[in-house]
Order: sequence, then structure tokens, then C-alpha cells
Amino acid sequence: MGYRIGVDIGGTFTDFALSRDGEVVLEKTLSTPPDNSLAVMEGLAKLADREGRSLSHFLSEVEAIIHGTTIADNTLIQMNGAVTGLLTTEGFRDELELRRGFKEDIWDVRLEAPPFIVPRRRRLGVPERILSDGTIYEKLDEEAALRAIRRLKRQDVESVAISLLFSFANPVHERRLAELTRQEMPGVEISLSCEVLPRAPEFDRTSTTAVNAYIGPSVTGYLDRLVERLAEAGYARQLLVMQSSGGVMTRDYLQGSPIRVLASGPAGGVVGAACVAEAKEAPDLLCVDMGGTSYDVSVVIGASAPAEVGWNWHHRNLIGVPMVNVETLGAGGGSICAVKKGAVEVGPESAGAAPGPICYGRGGLRPTVTDAILVLGILSEESTFAGGSFELTRKGVDEAFREQLGDPLGCSVEEAAFDSWRVVNANMTQAVRRTTAGKGIDPKSLTMLAYGGNGPVFAAIQAEELGIRRVLVPRSSPTFSALGALAARPSIDEERAYLVSARDADPGRLRELWCELDERAESHFLAAGFKRDDMRASYQINLRYPGQNFALTVDVKATVGPRDLSFVDDAMLADLIEGFHREHEACYGHRREDEVPEITGARLQTSVEVESPAFGAGFGAPQQAATPAGTRLANLGRGFEETRIYEGAALQPGHEIDGPGIIEETFTTIVVYPGWQARLDDAGDYVLDHMG
Amino acid sequence: MSYEINRRLAAERPPLETSAEVDSVTAGIIRGAFETICFETAVHLGRAASSAIINQSNERNGSIIDAHGRLAGVSVGIPQLLFISPMAVRWGIEHYEEDDWGPGDVFLGNDPDHGGGHLPDYTVYAPCFDSGGSLVAIQALQAHQGDTGGKDPGGFSVDSLDIFHEGLPIPRLKLVHRGERRGDVLDLLIRNNRLPSFTGDIAAMIGAAELGAQLLGDLVERWGSDVVRAAMNFNIGETERRFRSEVEKWPDGCYEADVWIDHDTVGHEDVRVHVACHVAGDQLTVDMTGSDDRPELVNVWNTFSNSRGYAMAQLVSMVDPTIVKNEGLFNAVEMVIPEGTIVQPPPNKPAALGAFHPACEIGEAICIALSQIVPERSSPQVYKLGMPNAVIGFDDEGQMWMDQGVDVRASDASATEGIDGWGSLCSGLGNLILAQAEDAESRFPVINLSREMTCDSGGAGRWRGQPGTLNVKKVLEPTMAVAWMVSMKHPLRGLRGGEDASPYSNHFEVGTPGEYKIENSVRADLPAGAVIAYQYGGGAGFESPLLRDPAAVREDVLDEYVSVEAAREHYGVVVTGSAEACDVEVDEEATRRLRDELLAEQA
Repeated sequence: MGYRIGVDIGGTFTDFALSRDGEVVLEKTLSTPPDNSLAVMEGLAKLADREGRSLSHFLSEVEAIIHGTTIADNTLIQMNGAVTGLLTTEGFRDELELRRGFKEDIWDVRLEAPPFIVPRRRRLGVPERILSDGTIYEKLDEEAALRAIRRLKRQDVESVAISLLFSFANPVHERRLAELTRQEMPGVEISLSCEVLPRAPEFDRTSTTAVNAYIGPSVTGYLDRLVERLAEAGYARQLLVMQSSGGVMTRDYLQGSPIRVLASGPAGGVVGAACVAEAKEAPDLLCVDMGGTSYDVSVVIGASAPAEVGWNWHHRNLIGVPMVNVETLGAGGGSICAVKKGAVEVGPESAGAAPGPICYGRGGLRPTVTDAILVLGILSEESTFAGGSFELTRKGVDEAFREQLGDPLGCSVEEAAFDSWRVVNANMTQAVRRTTAGKGIDPKSLTMLAYGGNGPVFAAIQAEELGIRRVLVPRSSPTFSALGALAARPSIDEERAYLVSARDADPGRLRELWCELDERAESHFLAAGFKRDDMRASYQINLRYPGQNFALTVDVKATVGPRDLSFVDDAMLADLIEGFHREHEACYGHRREDEVPEITGARLQTSVEVESPAFGAGFGAPQQAATPAGTRLANLGRGFEETRIYEGAALQPGHEIDGPGIIEETFTTIVVYPGWQARLDDAGDYVLDHMG
Repeated sequence: MSYEINRRLAAERPPLETSAEVDSVTAGIIRGAFETICFETAVHLGRAASSAIINQSNERNGSIIDAHGRLAGVSVGIPQLLFISPMAVRWGIEHYEEDDWGPGDVFLGNDPDHGGGHLPDYTVYAPCFDSGGSLVAIQALQAHQGDTGGKDPGGFSVDSLDIFHEGLPIPRLKLVHRGERRGDVLDLLIRNNRLPSFTGDIAAMIGAAELGAQLLGDLVERWGSDVVRAAMNFNIGETERRFRSEVEKWPDGCYEADVWIDHDTVGHEDVRVHVACHVAGDQLTVDMTGSDDRPELVNVWNTFSNSRGYAMAQLVSMVDPTIVKNEGLFNAVEMVIPEGTIVQPPPNKPAALGAFHPACEIGEAICIALSQIVPERSSPQVYKLGMPNAVIGFDDEGQMWMDQGVDVRASDASATEGIDGWGSLCSGLGNLILAQAEDAESRFPVINLSREMTCDSGGAGRWRGQPGTLNVKKVLEPTMAVAWMVSMKHPLRGLRGGEDASPYSNHFEVGTPGEYKIENSVRADLPAGAVIAYQYGGGAGFESPLLRDPAAVREDVLDEYVSVEAAREHYGVVVTGSAEACDVEVDEEATRRLRDELLAEQA
């Protein structure tokens, strides 16, 4: 039995989850930017140690390393990607800058332009034109194209994005332009829009392709370095990488579209959540991940969290590839608490890891959420913090709250801390409501899953605010995203445009498109060592009523094993129309019987099953009250009172804790608010229930 | 009659009666919930609607109105329109008993003389009641309809003499009674609209309003109606307080500006908008007295609701952007909008084009006036385009289609202190998502040939306006095109010594012997293959271009926002090399000499 390892790199920590014979071991190591592959190797060495093996021996027994990375996101945050050029159809050079008119804040005339990943001087038009049906209206002008390419060359461009109108309908000009570019600029990286995102409209596709070109070299460079280090250390298999869609795929697949690793870290958490949903028989989950600087919210319905394609703005760029929907709010343990316009505001500014909260004693001077919960007694100087990485100190905390909040507001230190706690709670609750309302979901119907270092501190009180009656806190919650990566399936999710009325659709054309998608997926799965027999394929079609701009995805057929497209026939198309009417009614409350929907594209999701770490459940162990390790004064929302403190390590399945109480775990703190009861289930995970 | 109605609808309304008290945290949470509900309903509308202007361009807005008709919450949308929405709802509320309001009802209004903007802006609204049957709040949604059943397809007529030429005005109409669609009423509405997609659009609006009322109902159930009412009172009061505290920081005085529209749609020239902003302590008064009142003017009549809304959209852009947008804004500002002028027309005037001009000139005039005292937030929240080139045709079955010309472009994106104009439009229109060639061309028989920015078309300045684009389109079938051009003689004005934006221009049948320039308005029949080319004006500049950092001008030349010649003539910056060769450098010595000369000339 081999090992499988999930690795998730965060801003402060790199998290590891090692699965061995169904058992999971957690580990954390400090991240090592700029070369985060060092932290990965360090952590692997620690795990090898714990397993009593040399690193090379250990790695030779590892079946899979599945990696969630922030490298793509960091490249966009730090704007240190490749010198990128963009070739477009003449007349469309500025789409990237005009952004379809979108501005992030319509009320603030002082909002500045985003930093351009491709400034205008490196966006050049080329005479050519293809129409919506793929016919060539104007031939590619190769002379002009060469002039444009040479102009990019003069600017030392390292990576070229090529995005021509309707290239998804006919890629011939894009491909020819790529050839010319390769001739003129040997060794340059090239991203083609017909490969990165073969669908309309042009801004979405161009933006996605340009971002792909911009982050490409750093993502591939990083992954190459990691692959090399792993190989040197004795790891012989393919590195699997978490994609923004929630699936994992080989480094080779991502070579062509590195954009697919954006937000790959949080995606792991969402995948893990879907497994929890299934194991705990809580199919509908609200997942909240609160770390040091951000608060990520996502929703799992029916034990699945499908990736969405739409108006995804990520670091001020539109990203058109499927992304697991995670809403991020600037609220974490490091968020700054301050008085603005006479009221307490928390975040989005963060003290980060350096200088960090005041109580870290590393030079922080501005009060943070972590400092507030220290004042409230939820954390304590006496307890270990973050696995013993820090000693907390109260020094300077009270003074800062008094000077920066209490005095301006005319209240005490404790009141100021309490107000900060309330405000950050309210901000997070609103983020949740925005996410759930955006999906038309009533949060009352959900179970909350809390993870990340700070998630379980706030989980139950937010749940109460939202009307949620049950909260799950897995034992693995501090490294939950790494664990999720272990559970993620190798998968590929792609679509091909096909614009046609559902009545006139040609089954032959659909078969062709699906066949093309399927062959492409198959080649990657086989190269990664998977078998065709294990390949699962879900054939889907995107449709809308004529005139609508957003398509809905309708599932047509799911298969396992060798390709069999015999289901594609006229009867399938008839069912499809009814299926779409039904789906539309479910989403928008009405159907339009007298309208014939139109198809916008064929989509194929392929995946293979892998062995996932166990996500257990149940309450077989005898129930008994847990024994507290002590008490301290803490304010859990109804003033300071003596509160029981429990040591997580001492708790066993079956233990019950009635709130108010605080459970101190190695890497996190779980607060059992008044009116709540925590129980440890057979898998060692916490289940918190509202008893009121 | 309509003046009296306007006065009544605009009158300040008292806080709601409530026995509850709330603190700022609770009020903030409920305010956030309102915004979320508005956002959710607007998204729902956008996804379900059938017309490109709603589902692709986002011309839809969600707002929540309280039982007194006060604006209680908004989501992202188009600020001007969000601020108009309460007025049409107030006309409905006046008839609460008569119309037998109850749970599950949905209403519609669009009449300019009864609180509406222009006819295409349908306001659909649904009330929410508490368990005791009292009205708590109303979910309103607005969306621009592609047709209004008037004499010309599309709702815009360059020669309409009254509102009835433009279509069917609806002061108030119940579409859904206690959850039941009123089929006869909907049939009438659908019959009075040329676009087949209207059926889907109105269904989407009703569905979204119902969803909003339901979400509001959940909120009321959770908090109790009195708490929700108290929160609305609190938030509206807080907004007024914060707006006034901004005004209090401004120096007392009277700040005035005139802005001119080239002409109305039949050629009456130099239509004037005058604004005087009086600042006295924390009281701001915006007085539009002096604005044009020539009765013979055609189409340049801005409805009263629009005048309030457009003025407020500009004002909120000039204060702290975090001030919550609600009725408190209107409580904080006194507006004098003289009756019988283009900013408060007599009854039955056409309204469609007035919502562009003079509506935008009101905002521009306020911006110019207040730029004297609030330079750091001076950026006109306007569009100066007359109207875009709408292309209209009929398919084989005789059904109308329309490419409304809400195309991707840059226009009127102006600079403000310290920030160059950027992106596509002014900030306030940042929620309008512009149409794409690949979508338009798969719907309509058109080909988009260009939408690139034109070098040197942004107003020069220490901070530069974004250049405007040249949008070139070819029609593949015989079609009708409607346009009205302004901002040729009076382009968007530069601020504090910045230069004006470039003028707009528009040519039809480009490249043929019959090519012509649109000098005013046109309703043209285009032959198949005709090319139309619309040069949008750029954004305006801010402060003298002679103050711009020469290094920034060099960057502009490299990026072809500014030509080598314009760098010299407008910025006094001498550069060598060319953008094509990527070797642009500033000649420091020559630049110093040239700038000295130009400054001396100016003196």
C-alpha cells in the first residue's frame, strides 16, 4: 500500500495531508516564497522522517503527489509575469483594455486602472477576418502579420497570446499566425485562444488567453522546478496539479493552459467538502474557510460543487475557464480593526504574516481580529498557537485597542474588541448571504463546514446568525485544502462552441465535437498512466432561449469505459429540448414552451476514480461528557464568564461538550458558543449542534 | 397637472413608524442584506431575459423602496437609473387602496409624467408585507426595453413631438394579482411591443420582482418588520448625516457652470443647461434655473425624475464613495428644478432622447461647477453620444431585430486629479457590460470592423482623458439606422485647465461615393453592405497638459494614445523616435524650451 500526499501552499504555511492505508497524517511547514518548491521538499522530508524512512525511500513508495498552488495567483498579484504580447484581429486591439466597460466600483471615481498585463504597445492588430460560421471573409495578411510580430520582438516579448475573432469556429488564421511567430521568435511561448478557451465572446476569450500567456512561464517554470526536485529526490511518477475546476490533471496537460491552476488551493478545500458532504450524509454544505487574511465561502449542493463558467473576475482579469465558485472576503485573523467614520471597520487590510497581529509579538502595532479574540479570552497567552509556532502575548494589545478604538468610540477595550468581533462576524455573514443568495439558496437549509485556522472560532455564531443548526469541524480542518486535493479526481472539463437552434442541430456534428474532446482527454489520461476502462465521461450541452446570453448546461449522457457515442441521435435531441425547458423552469421559475432553445456548445467532463482518503461518520462510540482541562474568563457573545477549556488531543469519539466552551486543537481553536453542543463522531470530527 | 404630481412625488417623506430601535451593526447587516437581494434579483433578471440590452449589456437595476416610497437600498446598477426608481413606485403607492395592493402583486410603471424616466425604462415592482399584513418594503427592478410601441421601432424617434409618438406610457399597472399573472394585461403589453423578445423580458422582470419580494419577506420574517423599518430609518438618516458632513467641509459659496448641447434633433442650436451649486454650511442646493425653456425645442426634454437622478449620480461621485446610497442623499440636497424648462418639461413632452441630453449635461455642469472645490473627485459621470447607431431590420417572418449599438467602445472616460481616464466609460457606467462582436454577429446580419481607440482623441491634460474609439460596422442586409449626433461643436469639457475631449463624428455609407456625415439626426435606410463609422469622443483632460510629466507623455506615445505631433503641440514635450520602432525618447532640453515658450504664449 503506497502513500498519497496532498500539498497546499498558502501565504504563511504550506500544508500537507498524507494518506496511508486510509489514515491521514497532517503536517505544516512555513512557506518559502519566492521558491515555494523548497517548502514542499522540506515538508516531504518531515513526513519521511515521521514515517521513519529516508526521503528517497519514502518518495519511491508515494503513488501520487497532488499539488494545490498559488503560483498563478501570486504572479497576478505581484504582476511579475512574462513580457507578453497580444495579436488580435485588426480593429480589436483594445478589447483587453476596454473590458466590455466593466469597472469594479461604479461609485468611486478614484478607482485606478488595473495594471495591464499587456500594455497597448504590445497589443497589435493583424488584418484578417473570419465570420461567425467559420468562413474566411478576409485572408490573413502575412506581410502585416510579420511586421506586427517583429514589433513584438523589438520589445523583447517572451510570451505571445493570439486571439482572433471567431477562431473557435475556424482556427486556421490563429494557427498560421502561431507558425509565423515561431519562425520570427524561436523559443517564444505561444498561447492560442482557440486552444485556451475556444468559445465566444472575444473579450472573455482574449482576456483568458492573455492571462494564460502572462502567467504561463512562471507556472511552468515553477512546476518544472518542482518536478525536477521531486525526481532528484526519488519520486518517479507524474505530478498531479489541482485545477481551478476542482479536478486534478497532470503537469503535461497544464503545460498548454497553465491558467487552469488559478485558485487551485481553495479548489482543493471545496473538493474535500464534497467528500465530507457525502460521508456525513449532509449533502448541502456551506463551506467557510477562514485563514490569516481571507475568508473563502463556497457552497456544496447534493454533495457536489460544480465548477462554473461565467463572469469570473480574478485579480482584476476576466478568467473564462471553469472555476469552482469561491467567494473571497478580506477577513481573517490578521484583518485590521479600526475606527472609520465613527464606526468600527474590520479589514480588508491585513497585517498578514509580517508583522502579523500584535499578539504575535513580531512588531505588529495595529489591532487585528486575532488580537480581539485574545482580549475576549477565546485565545489565551497560556495556550499553544498554530501548532506551537508562536507564543501569543497580550503586551501592547490592550493599549492598541484603547488608543485606536476605545478612545475614539468612547468605550472600553473589551467593548472595542467585542465590537470588532461583531463586525467581522457581520462581514462574513454578508459574504455568505451574497454567495447563497447568488445561488438562490436559503442558508437555513445548509450544514456549515468550517475549516482554515480561524474558521472554527467563528463558525457556530455565524451559523446561528444564518439560521444554520449544525456545524461540522473536521479534525483535519487546519490543512483541509491539502486533504481535499487528495480526494480530487483527475479530470478534464472542456467545451467546443456550436451555435445552432436545437431543432436544427446535427447529431453528426455533435458526435464530431464530443469525439474530438474525448480523444483529447483520452490521450492525457493514458499518458498519465490511467486506463480507458476507468474513464468516466459526462456528455453535456449548453443551451439557452433565443436572445438569452447565459446558457444552462443540460446533462445528456454519462458513460464509463470505452468511447460510445451511439446515444447521439434525433431522439436525444428531442429529449434535450424538454430537458432544457425543465432546467430553465428550475432556475428561473418559468418555461417558454413556444420557444425553441438554441445550442451554444458541446461540453465534455471526463474523469477517473481514485482512492480517496476516508471521510468517516457515525456515532457508534458511547456518549459521555468530556472533562475540561480548566476554565478561563471569556466573552462568547453574552459578556465575560468563566468558560470551560478543553484539550482537543484528550478528547475521544463519543465525547460531548455543552457550550459555552473552548476546544484547543494543535492548529486551531473551536468555540462552542452558548446554546451549542459539540460531539466527537467516530471519525474524530466535531459535530456542533444548536440546541435552542 | 404633471408639475403638481412631480412636486408631490419628490416631496421629502417622513421616517417609518416603528417601535424598534437598532444599533449601527444591525442596521448595517440589514442594509447589506438589501444590497444582496437587489444584486440577486438583478442577476436573475439578466440571466433570464431575452434582449441583449438586458442580458448582455446589464441595463437592469435593482432597488428597494420603503413603504413611504423612500429609496432604501440599491445594488450595483446604473446610478442614474437607480436614483430614478422610487418615483414611479411612489405613484403606485398613492393608489394603494384603490389598486388593492396585497402579497403576491406585481406592478409596472414607465410614464415620464408619473415619476418615470423615459418610456423604455420599465420599472416593475413587487410589495412585501409582514405577517400582520402591513406593507414593509417594495422590490423594484428596472430594465431598458428595446421597443415601446411608438411610431418608430426602438423607442427613439428623432422627430417625435410628444410622448405618444414614442409609445405607450403606463403610469401604473398591476401585472400580477395575488400571485396570478393577469393574462389580459400582459397580452396588451406584448401587443404594444414590436420585439418578439419582449415576452421573455417581461416574464424575466416579473420573476425577478417576485423573487425579490420573497427574499424581502424572508428577511422580514427573520428580523421582524419593526426592526427592518428601524434599520431603514437608521440607514437613511446616517446617509444624510454623512453626505452633509462632506458638504460641510466644502467652502461656502456659489459655484456655477453652463454646458451646451450642440442642437436639438431638428436643428435649434446651443441648448443650454445651467447649474448653480450653493454651499452653505452642510446644506447643498443645486439650482438649475436658467436652463433652456424654448418651447420649440424638439426631443431635448429631460423628465423631472431623470433630472433628479442624473444630478444625484454626479453628486454621489463627488463625495466619499462608501456613503450608502439611499433616500438620505435626497434629504441632504435641495434641488431647484424649474418648471417648464428642459429639466422639468411640460406634460406630454417626448422623453426618450432627453434621458441622454440634457440629462447628462446636468451632471457635467455640476461636475464643472464643483471642480472648483472638489478637484480630487471631479470626473463627469456622463455619456455625450447623442445616441448610438441603432441598426434595425426585420427577419424573414417580419419580426423586428435591433442591434442597439451598446457596443464595446471607449467614450467620455475622463481624467480626474492624479488619475488618467481609463477603461471604457465613466465609473458610474461601469456596470454596463458592452456588447461583443462575436455575440452581435451571431444574432444580427452585421460585421464589426473596428473598435479601436483613436490616437489623440482623449483630452490632453496633466492627467489625460482616455481616447475615444472608432466603431465601424457593416450591415449585410438593407436596414434602417437611427442616430442623433451632439458633442461635435460642444465636446466634453476639460477640467481646471485640462483640454476638452475630441468631438464626436459619425459617417454613413463610408467608402462609397454617397458617403455622408451625420450633422444632426438621421433615420436612414442603409443598403446591404453599407458601412457606418462612429467616432466616439474621448474623455476630458484634467489640468494643463504642460504640467504632465514628460516621462508619462513618452509612455503615451509608445502606447499610441498620443502622437509625436500632439506630444509637441498639446503637451509641449519633444520626443524622438516612433512607437512603431519602439524607440521613443524625450528630448529634455527641447522640451524645456518648448514648454517655456508655450507658457509664455499662454501668459
